[in-house]
This record gives sequence, C-alpha cells and structure tokens, in this order.
Amino acid sequence: MIVNPNSMTPIYIQIAEWLETQILNEAIHSDEKIYSQYQLAEMYNINPATAAKGLNLLADQNVLYKKRGLGMFVSKDARHIILNKRKNEKLQSMVKDVTKEAVQLGVGVEELIVMIRKMHSEAKGGNQ
Amino acid sequence: MNVVEFTNVSKKYGKSNAVSKLSFTLAENKITGLIGRNGAGKTTLLKMMAGYVKPSSGNITVFSKDPFDNLQVSANRIFIDHQMSFSPLLTLKELLITAGRFYANWDSELAWRLFDYFSLNPDQNHAQLSKGMKSTFNMIIGLAAHCPLTIFDEPTSGMDAAVRKDFYRALLKDYLNHPRTIILSSHLVSEIEDLLEDILLINDGEKYLHLSVEELREYAVGVSGNASAIKELAQQHSLIHQKDMGSGRMYAVMKTEGAAKQALDQTRKLGLELTPVAVDDLCMHVTSKSQGGIDSVFN
Repeated sequence: MIVNPNSMTPIYIQIAEWLETQILNEAIHSDEKIYSQYQLAEMYNINPATAAKGLNLLADQNVLYKKRGLGMFVSKDARHIILNKRKNEKLQSMVKDVTKEAVQLGVGVEELIVMIRKMHSEAKGGNQ
Repeated sequence: MNVVEFTNVSKKYGKSNAVSKLSFTLAENKITGLIGRNGAGKTTLLKMMAGYVKPSSGNITVFSKDPFDNLQVSANRIFIDHQMSFSPLLTLKELLITAGRFYANWDSELAWRLFDYFSLNPDQNHAQLSKGMKSTFNMIIGLAAHCPLTIFDEPTSGMDAAVRKDFYRALLKDYLNHPRTIILSSHLVSEIEDLLEDILLINDGEKYLHLSVEELREYAVGVSGNASAIKELAQQHSLIHQKDMGSGRMYAVMKTEGAAKQALDQTRKLGLELTPVAVDDLCMHVTSKSQGGIDSVFN
C-alpha cells in the first residue's frame, strides 16, 4: 500500500483485519465457516464485491480456504499466519512510525525504550 | 453478461452536445454509481438507457435490444427520477396497487412495509406530497418493482439525511436479497460509495473513467509539503489538482500509475507527506474546469 494506513484504510482491508481479529480471539475456530460476502455486506453496509475482496485477500494468504459450493473456512494454521503477518508488517510499520516521531522530537533510544518497557508492562498487566 | 452496452453514443440538443461519443458497458447484477457535475449529461444518458430518448448517433443495447420504444426492454427496467408523473386521480394506495400490475416481479409486501415505515398517507395524492416525500414514494416503487435493470436518477433529491441513510440501507438489503443491475446517479458520492461496486464518472458528456470503487480509492494520491519539491515531482506524474498552502508549501493530487507508484513512495524521504484522496474529492478535482478551483476566481 502506498498510503498511510492510519488515516484511511481501504474498507476491504478493514474487513480482512476484522476477520483476522475474530480468528485471533477464537470467535471463529479452525475449519469453521467464516461469514459470507453477503453477511459481511449486510453487517457493514457495503457492496458485497468489497466484502468479497476482503475475503479473497485472506484466502490468498491461506488464512481461509474455499470449499466449492460451501463457502470459505478458517484454515488450520490461520492463527499462526495472522500472528506472523501482524508481527512482520503491522508491528514493524508501527515501530517505524514511533521511531520517526521520537527522532523528530529528539527523544533518544534509551528514553524510548524506557517508555516502551513501561507501556509493555502496563499492557500485559491490563490483559491479566 | 452485459445488461447495458453503449457504443459511441452521442446526443445533441440543438447545437449543444449533451452526450458525446460515450462507450461503456454495465455487467449484470452490479451496482454502479453515475457521477458527474451539473450538466455533465447524467440524466440524458440514463434517459437513453431507459429508452425515453433516442440517441443522435451511436448504438445502445439493453438486454441485447435497442431500448428506444421497446416494450420488452421497458417491462424489464424501471426509471426513477423526481419528475415521475402519476395520475392525479389516484391516491398513493391506488398508485401502489396499480404499479403492482405493471411489474412482473413486484414485491407488494416490501412496498407496503416501506410505505408504513416512511409514514406515508395512503389516501393522499402524489401531487400534494413534499419534494422529499415524493422522492421517498418514487424510491419505494423503484425498489419494490425488482426490475432486472433499475435506474435511479438523483433518487435522494429533497430527502433529509435520515431518509437518505434509510434508503441506502434499504437498497443494499434488497439488492442482497434480489441481485440485479442497478445504476444510480448522485452528487453525494461520499454517501453512496460504500454501496457501489463501480463508478462511471462523466464530464462534459464524455466518459472520464469507469472503475471499481476500490480502484478509484487508489487512483490518486495527495502530496503536501515543500512547493518546489512537489513541482519537480509533478513533472513525472499527471497532476490532477493543486493548491497553494502559502509560505512555500502546497498540496497536489497526482495520479498513481504503474512505475510512478514507486517514485511516489520515495517522496516520504523527501519530507513530503502522502495522504489518500477520498473518492468524492477525486471526482471533484478531475471534473474541475481549472486546476485551482474556486480560489482562482478570487486571485
């Protein structure tokens, strides 16, 4: 993507991300049927072709697999794929943004690490 | 299968061209938005599609037939606009019953549910309705007819924001239940873009572009920052719009095509900021007569 994803993520990617989160949260399990393009269109008030694009994106990444005539299902290692992808792409780019901002503000590496350490322990504590 | 095919279609009113050399096709069961400025030729295009107006030259087929004066085409399409005339002798209730006799796929239950939801009075006359209420009633007919080709020309004119929102949702839900070819023209791109699959943008009677909404969202990119850096960049890219932001800064909208995409990616290193361009802004910029917009009048 060439645009800054924070400002205006395309809808089909938002759909794909939402589905990924559903899988990560185990709202939908492996080998379970995922929402159809029509269900997503109705839920999000969008054209079904846009919803299909989100589903196909995940199918291309092997998060979902197609069963002819039955629709799309969550693949066995979907969680693994999603976690890896988020680590490598989303987290990386967020770290990049944070680092850039820190450089602009003249915040040093050490100071940044202290901040991250603090946030990390806070976030971990919040989850328990 | 293509439901609608326009090949080199022109329409002249007197000496002026309303539509010129327009070619496009509409595939079956898609929702297409017809976007254009006032006077761009939207209504003329839709009226030719409906078979109300004969083109001056070129070829039109709807369901593989010439739509002009064609019974089979007119039975399979419905054209909804704010000028629809209904018999002044019939009440709204009688109009709905009559409409049901005209259209083979008429969904009477949907018609009455919508009628009640929008609190229309069955004993009223169409001519007595307010502009917004007229549009609402026409929209109900357009939806309930379930025509294989459903044409809406500015269906929301006069409707308040709440009714427009309800209409878009009703249109989508009914489309999901009964997929069919729908084309609607509107000025309010931002309100309908999520609903659409494709956008047909016309300008001065000519086709400007016909793309999926998703492609349009990535068609152009906004660049802001140092003016001289942007001007340099603009030499390699098609410039769509530019605006001076003062103190040596400017904002420009450029086309993101092929190889140019990578060059644009480099711009972040030059300290230029890239922002996505909303579809309605893009439609406005590309159909603008001058690159500076209204500001250029005051300079």
